[in-house]
Amino acid sequence: MSIWDKIKHGIEEVAHDAQRAAENIGQSASKGIRSQTPEEMQRYSEWELALRQHRLPSFVQSRMFQTSQGRLPWISTAKASELLLQRSHGVQPIGMVTGNCWYHFGYSWTQGHYDGWHTAVERMRLEALAVGANAIVDVRMKVHHGEHEDMDYGVTGTAIRIRGLPPSAEPVVATVSALEFVRLLEDGVVPVGIAIGANFDWYSPWMGTVAAQAAQSSPFAARYWNMEITDLSAFQENVRRRALYDLREDGRRMAAAVLAHTSTTQMFHVAGDQDNPERFLCRHISIGTAISYLPQNVPQHELIPMISLLDHPLKSATTTRKDLI
Amino acid sequence: MTDTAEQLAPHAIERLKGLRSQGSHEGIFTSDLSVNEFVMVRKANFEPLGLVVGSCIYHMGIQYGNWNQNMEMDVLSQAMYQARELAMSRMEQEATLLQADGIVGVRLEVKRMEWDQEILEFMAIGTAIAHRSGASGFKGVGGKPFTSDLSGQDFWMLLQAGYRPMEMVMGSCVYHVAHQGLLKSLGNVGRNTEMEQFTQAMYDARELAMERMQHEAQEAQADGITGVQLHEGSHNWKPHVIEFFAVGTAVKAMENADALVDGLSPQLVIPVND
Repeated sequence: MSIWDKIKHGIEEVAHDAQRAAENIGQSASKGIRSQTPEEMQRYSEWELALRQHRLPSFVQSRMFQTSQGRLPWISTAKASELLLQRSHGVQPIGMVTGNCWYHFGYSWTQGHYDGWHTAVERMRLEALAVGANAIVDVRMKVHHGEHEDMDYGVTGTAIRIRGLPPSAEPVVATVSALEFVRLLEDGVVPVGIAIGANFDWYSPWMGTVAAQAAQSSPFAARYWNMEITDLSAFQENVRRRALYDLREDGRRMAAAVLAHTSTTQMFHVAGDQDNPERFLCRHISIGTAISYLPQNVPQHELIPMISLLDHPLKSATTTRKDLI
Repeated sequence: MTDTAEQLAPHAIERLKGLRSQGSHEGIFTSDLSVNEFVMVRKANFEPLGLVVGSCIYHMGIQYGNWNQNMEMDVLSQAMYQARELAMSRMEQEATLLQADGIVGVRLEVKRMEWDQEILEFMAIGTAIAHRSGASGFKGVGGKPFTSDLSGQDFWMLLQAGYRPMEMVMGSCVYHVAHQGLLKSLGNVGRNTEMEQFTQAMYDARELAMERMQHEAQEAQADGITGVQLHEGSHNWKPHVIEFFAVGTAVKAMENADALVDGLSPQLVIPVND
């Protein structure tokens, strides 16, 4: 999509939103829907200011402080079994912390992912700082798709404190549960954050792809040939390599290695028209848990192989339907 | 009750306090291992070196099967084989550049491109690893890094069992299953009977795929193949065309296997919470 297409698309979006807003005003007036109360307006403006200033609104700050002081009940995503850690390992859940960022992709979907996730994580970290946490565990990532070129990036987790440690200046962010977090810590491995690597590029083959060129030279026979489309392979490989390089660099920023749990590559074809030639868009995104460890510290845990005596009944295969025959 | 903080490594405490060793290049890599896999690979005395990927975008030739005959679609079989091989070899090249002993957790994915029915994307992805102290004897065929689709946990167990991975081996067969003739169909009306032509086609296609996989293992001088999976699929081909794809890790017993094996015998347990 060219810059002009983008601008045109953006104007259409704005016009559409304006039309819906006008309809909404008409409906509100006719049905007598109430407007915001002064408290709601106050809350709204506090959020607005806090997001701009990269801090928490005072009412969130206050609730976090009350929770950390034990004046409000703690909230945790941990299971009952993980609460055992509270006694066995001195891991204390303090509160559930969250962060989100609804992001509009103006020029790059890929860069939007990078910025959106990082902003959401940093906001969650602010809440963890407010409760004096050492870490955020069991971090879950969730997206909501918007109506146009926008998406909400949301993260939630449980802030924990480890007995004997002072509050951290930069609480670590771990996608693993409290149970796994402690086991990793005992092996000298610290999950420290979420790393993201994303890249996209456009490719416009001047003479057509290798397959298209073959089809031009031998219109009938080329359809029957097996052949690698080498230019597309190389293009995709480059995009993926750059994204993985970015992932590694994001890990390096945290002085950590990255265990990538999510990776996706997409390639789109845009047919040529009078104004634009045929184009291909490729984008790759990888998201992973950043871990810090020293290779010379070998794992200490003893392993005991076990065979479960639970019965696993055979699943019926007759319900599996094959469309082939 | 003991405090975790008292038992932690100094490095872990430093990170938890929000400090970091800036500029340290130790322990920085990318991988698609899960946290548990990472722990188990390290437990096996190996260290991850990096995520390695190979891909190939491939135009599949067209081939038509004879309507009433069982037959292999050799053009499609070759295409599936060659494209996977290209993706795998590119991944291996990346591992060689990292001076890895091998690649674990290899996944082979095939995806059809939306804009063209005949273009498929093949991707091989895994984590390159190397022995922590540089011990020799873990490389694969011809001194190249070994490849394996075993998870980090399975890799540890394989070594404990006295075997080492040699190569991820595969066999593919795309097969045309003959249609049943009208007379035959009419003859079967109201009868319980085996459809021998279909049975034979499925048997033959599966057999060819497994033969090819076994041949690859033999070429790799392996003792056996572990974790074999047999996939059946159709990549948007015509009805009655099916691919059997057999894949597994060819393994070889280590020379001093008995001395290496920890002698761990699994304990029987009965979980009470599931």
